Amino acid sequence: MFKDSLIILRKELRRIFTDRRLLFMLVVLPLVMLPLMYSFMGRANKARMVEINSYSSRITICSGEGGEEVRGWFFESLSALNAHVETAGTYELDSLKQRVIDKDLEVLVVMPDSMDDHIRAGSAFDLSIFYNSTGDYSKFAFDQVDIAFAAVGEAIIRQRIMESGMSEDVLTAFTINKQLAAGEFADLAEEGSMMGKLIGVMLPFFIVIYLFANSMKVGLDSVAGEKERGTLAMLLVNQVSRLSIVLGKMISVMVAAIVGAVSSAIGLRIASRYLISMTSDSGASISEYTMGSTAVLQFAIVVIPLAILISSLVLLVSTFARNVKEGQGMIMPVYIAVMVMGVTTMQTGDIPPEWMRMTPIFNSLVVLKDIFMQDAVWGNIVFSLATSLVVSAVLIFITLRMFNDERVLFRI
Amino acid sequence: MLRVENLSKEFRNSRGRQRNVVKAVSNLSFQCQPGEIYGLLGPNGAGKTTTLRCLSTLIKPTSGNVWIDQYNVLEHGQIFRSKIGFLTSDMKLDGYFTPDYMMNWFGQLNKMEDCRIEQQKEKLFNDLQMTDFIHKKIDQLSTGMKQKTAVAISLIHDPEVIIFDEPTSGLDVITSKAVTDFLVSRADSGKIVIISTHNMTIAEKLCHRFGILVDGELKEEGTLSDIIEGSSWDNLEDVFFSYILPGGNHV
Ligand SMILES: Nc1ncnc2c1ncn2[C@@H]1O[C@H](COP(=O)(O)OP(=O)(O)OP(=O)(O)O)[C@@H](O)[C@H]1O
Ligand SMILES: [Mg+2]
Repeated sequence: MFKDSLIILRKELRRIFTDRRLLFMLVVLPLVMLPLMYSFMGRANKARMVEINSYSSRITICSGEGGEEVRGWFFESLSALNAHVETAGTYELDSLKQRVIDKDLEVLVVMPDSMDDHIRAGSAFDLSIFYNSTGDYSKFAFDQVDIAFAAVGEAIIRQRIMESGMSEDVLTAFTINKQLAAGEFADLAEEGSMMGKLIGVMLPFFIVIYLFANSMKVGLDSVAGEKERGTLAMLLVNQVSRLSIVLGKMISVMVAAIVGAVSSAIGLRIASRYLISMTSDSGASISEYTMGSTAVLQFAIVVIPLAILISSLVLLVSTFARNVKEGQGMIMPVYIAVMVMGVTTMQTGDIPPEWMRMTPIFNSLVVLKDIFMQDAVWGNIVFSLATSLVVSAVLIFITLRMFNDERVLFRI
Repeated sequence: MLRVENLSKEFRNSRGRQRNVVKAVSNLSFQCQPGEIYGLLGPNGAGKTTTLRCLSTLIKPTSGNVWIDQYNVLEHGQIFRSKIGFLTSDMKLDGYFTPDYMMNWFGQLNKMEDCRIEQQKEKLFNDLQMTDFIHKKIDQLSTGMKQKTAVAISLIHDPEVIIFDEPTSGLDVITSKAVTDFLVSRADSGKIVIISTHNMTIAEKLCHRFGILVDGELKEEGTLSDIIEGSSWDNLEDVFFSYILPGGNHV
């Protein structure tokens, strides 16, 4: 029997691994997709930063009467910015606001009358700063103005404190992280664990996507395609048993699925470097993540049964459907449901709810995440393995029943 | 000898709420001797494909049985399959492989020794004049070449009974002739050949005996002279039309 399965399997595998187009979709695509996407996003991000920094923002300060000296401080504070600063009178306020709306002006500052009276009296006054968040540079310019003006405010307070006879030291209650010893870092994350966490969060999603996509690419054609082409009948009038046919096809679909999962894992590993350099400010935590041999073993123990489960699911649908198109229509809702599961595992925190651990497919995804976070528990791993295998056995049993049922095989 | 005994096949369809039973074949009986080509004639939906599928173990008769010598289709499916070669015209082989590869593969599925596969391949490739294209991908072959490939594959195990469902449909006259000549040569070497067709000209030339199947029932059975003598017509086509055309004397 296994020899017969092998004959079937050999042909299916030859079909997959010698067809350059199919191979590209099954192996190369999952591998290069993420790195390409992230390197592209990283590059776009960098280009954007360069562009923003080289842009000279247009800022207008609109002020009332008097207070020239104080106004001078504010002007001074903006001189370090890459900006073109103008002044205007309050009578122009409405037209200036319109210019902000029209994105003709990035920032509009409105200052009250006689600010120097307030300074002298030691009282507070109101500044209004307008910007337009839909403009490309407006919010960025606003943040810069905000920071610059805060420095002016601090200088004023410093001045007041010194005038009152106190030391300016009272302005500083404490400092953070000034006393770290040489070679000591504030981020105590273990070597590589940041990349591990990142991979752990994203991988279950991509694994399940490619397990499914590859199973569908190979599995739907495998039976529904043969029905459609009429070659299934040719296969059935031979000496091989139907169990051998189902097993042979099943294993070939599984191989395609696993190849996709491993490729996408490698792809994500490569991509995570771009991802980290995009999300973290300091380069310090970009250390490499390497999977230990235990993690590799655990990964295999979870992914292989999951691949068996998903390929049996696809093969069942493929056997039931009259043709590839009908099969695609039937499997789509399941595919979407599984994608939602993937997204859900991505968003749940470190301790997933119990029902996730009990649900087939879901529990494998959760455990996969644990493995990369380096806190997988063997009990959970074995449980996910067991549920996947039990569900697969049921699915294969049903598929086999259908394979022996002429009403399913020759459905019109 | 192949013997069909009171073969009936019903399909239960459930479309929406309605459940209805289609009697695709009713109480069909006929026999074929080695060396004989038997033609199953009938309009669309007559039950030809259903009959041939029952003969090749793909579907189970609702009642009745089919025998090849002492083996019957209900009890000896596996042996039955080793004795038949089955082909349907609407089959499209996977274009990715070559005829040569497919022959080897189907040979293995039939549990043949490698040397036996080689022998059979050489014989079939020569008889069907296929040697020019056996190493090309099936995708790149013409319709006729594809059909020759399908014929060769279905007969790799040199079966005693050849069951072809519309073997010449969609073929040009030359390929059609190549296939029918090939079938004649098989029959001459002692095989039983059963084909279904709507093409009366080919049937008349090719077949030794005929069965006219209409709505699942065998209306006429026998040699060409048997059928014509019992009717008021002088050719097979007119007899056939008399059963299926409105106004025909059997309708
Ligand atoms: N699997 C099936 N399920 C339900 N009904 C079927 C099935 N196969 C065939 N039938 C019905 O049985 C009848 C006979 O069909 P069959 O395919 O045997 O005819 P045929 O003589 O081969 O016709 P054609 O010349 O069109 O090939 C038709 O009414 C068809 O609808
Ligand atoms: Mg038919």
